Amino acid sequence: MADHPAVEVSDLNVSYGSTPVLVDVGLTVPAGAGVCVTGENGIGKSTLLRCVSSLQRPDSGVIRVFGGEPGDRPDFWRAVATTVEPPTWYPGLTAHEHAELVCRAHGQDPGEAGIDEALERFGLAGHADAIPPSLSSGQKQRLTLALVLLRPSALLILDEPEQRLDPEGRAMVAGMLADYLAGGGSLLLASHDDKFAVAAGAEIVSMDML
Amino acid sequence: MTVVELRPVRRWIRRTQSAHRDRGETATTAYVVVFSILVLAAMAQETLAAVFRPLVPDLTGSGALAWAAVCAGLLFATLRRLGPVTVSRPAAYFLLTAPVSRRRLLSPTLTVATFGAALAGAAAALGILGHAASTGSIVLVATGAVVGVLLAVAAATAQARPRASRIADAVGRVAIAAGLAVLVAEEAGWTPPTPGGWPPAVVVVPLTGLLALVAAAGFLLAVRDLARTPNDEILDSAKTAGTLADSVYGVEPSFLADMLERRYWAHRRLRSTRLSRRLPPLTAQDLLLARRRVPRLLWAAAATTLPLLLSGAPPWLLAGTLLIGTMLVARTTTAAVKTDATNPVLLRLLGLTSRRALWQRLWVPAALGTIWATVALGLLQVTGALPPGPWWPLGLALGPIGAVAGLRAARAGLVRNDLLPVETPMGSVPTGPVLHAFAGLDLLLLALPTVVALATAAPATVSLLILQLGLGYLGVHAYLTFTTSPDRVELAAR
Repeated sequence: MADHPAVEVSDLNVSYGSTPVLVDVGLTVPAGAGVCVTGENGIGKSTLLRCVSSLQRPDSGVIRVFGGEPGDRPDFWRAVATTVEPPTWYPGLTAHEHAELVCRAHGQDPGEAGIDEALERFGLAGHADAIPPSLSSGQKQRLTLALVLLRPSALLILDEPEQRLDPEGRAMVAGMLADYLAGGGSLLLASHDDKFAVAAGAEIVSMDML
Repeated sequence: MTVVELRPVRRWIRRTQSAHRDRGETATTAYVVVFSILVLAAMAQETLAAVFRPLVPDLTGSGALAWAAVCAGLLFATLRRLGPVTVSRPAAYFLLTAPVSRRRLLSPTLTVATFGAALAGAAAALGILGHAASTGSIVLVATGAVVGVLLAVAAATAQARPRASRIADAVGRVAIAAGLAVLVAEEAGWTPPTPGGWPPAVVVVPLTGLLALVAAAGFLLAVRDLARTPNDEILDSAKTAGTLADSVYGVEPSFLADMLERRYWAHRRLRSTRLSRRLPPLTAQDLLLARRRVPRLLWAAAATTLPLLLSGAPPWLLAGTLLIGTMLVARTTTAAVKTDATNPVLLRLLGLTSRRALWQRLWVPAALGTIWATVALGLLQVTGALPPGPWWPLGLALGPIGAVAGLRAARAGLVRNDLLPVETPMGSVPTGPVLHAFAGLDLLLLALPTVVALATAAPATVSLLILQLGLGYLGVHAYLTFTTSPDRVELAAR
């Protein structure tokens, strides 16, 4: 896995109808490094992330994640964790139980995975017994981030993770992403907040330059 | 504060809406609806006759009273589920917040609900009278209609007083449970006390008149108190009515089912608990969900006696009820499969293969289905409603079959309305809703040996048991193997 870059994109083309969104886009995220793509709304950041996550098929181009083609395979989704998609929630399960289920599915001991600490750090300790649909949009965003960061992964793909977070929350999430990179993980994110990206330890790349 | 007159506003809305319709469209719609009802009634003439006027009346006095309690409980529960005081979703947005008379705004739906409840009450009374062995006064049909009005008034009162509504709902549930208990006990051989025959007309007529006066007064009081109905109750019922309309118009039952599921959990206060470590994670999750649905499990336990009510019915009906009952009980915990099949985002987060996920999701539904089918068959066997032989072990096969049928139905997702309709001599039949309706039910064909044995009144033999167990387990294994993959996460139906 470490022999290959985390993400390699070349000659990527995507259009919606007759409107081209991505034209001959190329991007490399080295293994163990972080890259933050920036750019104005509608420039194609989310589309790029969706293509890398295998959630959208490009018109043409080559995408490799750790040397392999991204797809709906279990090994891909055990290596890649993403918040590109809007989350759904299991009925009748609390926020804490969602976190425990994610840990158990990845073979982690829920007691040692630090679920309580993660919920505390994301300001969700008081909502551990709530069912996620009853949370506010910001709290849901934080819970999604907590789940993604709790489970083991080799690559995080995050779409504007700073959205709906207050300044303290942004600083905390940026710190956690920096820790993730320091632990050997790779990071691809889209953001409007350069300060956040820098604090997360990600190299900023403008979509115009891709 | 100035109160705006509602009538001109409604008139303007109606005029503006009708300006966007084609000329005569309303008349055409009314014609199609009335014509369809008449055609369906003519087609289902024999079934309707069997429901309302069977050739051989089969109800004792206690049975008739029990059916009356069940029908009243069900009618009250339906009225409470729908409101009964409600408004359309646009009216909830634009008019509920406007300075108009709330009584005038809300009274039309209460009137419609009361009229509908009166019709339903009269139909229930007519059906019960038709089934009763001794002849009762036809005036009791009017009594049924008046009771329907009283139930509508009670439901509207409960809606305006959420605290009292819990007691009213509990009374409704007790009426259903007690009525069914009497019916089941009668089928099991219990001889009920004789109520002393139908009351004579000289009692029924004044009593119905008195009840009608009470109902009329209650209705007027309910209309007077309409303004006290809390906004959240009206908004809830507006959403229910709107979603029901969406489900019917879009032929998409999942809209309503999803809303009811969301609403159920939104009203629950949960405490986080540890998932069982001895079970695979998704099985542990399903077990936790089952533990949180105790009322539903209690109803399911009580429902094991319902097939007894069909011991005199055609055997195919008994077999169908057993299979569909097993499937419905198995579906107690399949909501998570539905979530994953509709949107696999959580499965991707869990990183499990579709095969592993579905195997883990099978165990709790299979256990619930097996227990239910085994107990239901055991009760039928003990009461002598089935031919000789050990029937209850067949529950070991029917449970897993009901479970995979439930899983398949949960994986079906939304109705596909993009499929080509099939042209028949009766008109065109939309393919998507039909396929969706049969998703899951088709797998119940795996229980064919049991169905044939029940339909032909054949005794249960060891060879039948071995054949059914073998076919059931092979079918379950084949379904889980061929519709999942160790290389794929997505769980949507294949």
